[in-house]
Amino acid sequence: MSRRLFLIAMLGVLFVVFTLSMIELESLYNNYGMRYFLNEGFDDTGSRNLVTAILLDYRLFDSLFEAGILLIAVSGVIWISKHDVEEKNAQFMLDKYKTPDLFVTFSRLVYPLMLAFGFYVIINGHVSPGGGFQGGAIVATAILILYYIDGNKETNIGLIVTIEKIIYLLIILLASLSFFTRGEFFTNFFVPSANPDLKAIYLVLLNVFIGFKVALGLWTIFTAFLKEGR
Amino acid sequence: MNPILTFIVILIGFYGLSTSDNIIKSVFCVTIIESGVILLFLNLGNFEGGAIPILNDHLVDIVDPLPQALMITTIVIGSTVTALSLMLCIKIFHHYGTVEWAEVLRREDVKS
Repeated sequence: MSRRLFLIAMLGVLFVVFTLSMIELESLYNNYGMRYFLNEGFDDTGSRNLVTAILLDYRLFDSLFEAGILLIAVSGVIWISKHDVEEKNAQFMLDKYKTPDLFVTFSRLVYPLMLAFGFYVIINGHVSPGGGFQGGAIVATAILILYYIDGNKETNIGLIVTIEKIIYLLIILLASLSFFTRGEFFTNFFVPSANPDLKAIYLVLLNVFIGFKVALGLWTIFTAFLKEGR
Repeated sequence: MNPILTFIVILIGFYGLSTSDNIIKSVFCVTIIESGVILLFLNLGNFEGGAIPILNDHLVDIVDPLPQALMITTIVIGSTVTALSLMLCIKIFHHYGTVEWAEVLRREDVKS
């Protein structure tokens, strides 16, 4: 009981420290960056969605390693789960006879709609809310529903991870392409004076690559979890 | 939203992390802390009546897009951390037959 009280007292101290630091944080914050993005963002990057403009142009170096962290996590999940999968010859945990028929029927109806919505979010990432990461998550969820429709589906994890690595290399190559046209790494490969609508081609390409990479990575994680079995 | 509320969310996560007996509950508490941090950052550039940061033909007051772009990184990293931790939980369950902290630590003592 005394340990619990000591913990609550420590959390109270943390709360006071947080509250004091928040006053400082609010005085440090300014909106000069926001005004710059509002005035220059569309002409610089060709993206109407300013979050995509920051993610895929101004801070592309950051986003590349964000996608890399996902690849590393997928490799880690596969490596941790690998030994059991081979030893026990584990079946999928989803049992076809335990899944309700209503759920399976509606999954068949919803599955193509979810895929189409995911591709819509990926392709329109530069004009509407969304982008590669979000759309990839939706596509991966649609693929997860596929396992409910056909529980005996065989998935070759090695092939998926190989495709994912190739797509990651393509993303880095596409991001480095600007070195040959503009002389600087990790930005749009069209020259700065190009038409903003032309620059959007680069954003769509990068969004599609990132979307496929995220979808394949999450698919691999799902499959590794399903294969863990009992 | 008041930033004080986000601190309370973060502290609830800390409290759960310190007191939970179950490993899976600890993983959930890490997720709660992460949600508090995301709320704190989104709160920074936000103001009453601000529009989403998408440019239209007519000029509107938009919220700051920079914290939102930063938080996508946090969400992706958080999901990967959760996936790795849950996979480790499954391996601990296969090895020890339990996901209680005290039980796992006691078995570790017996072995060594």
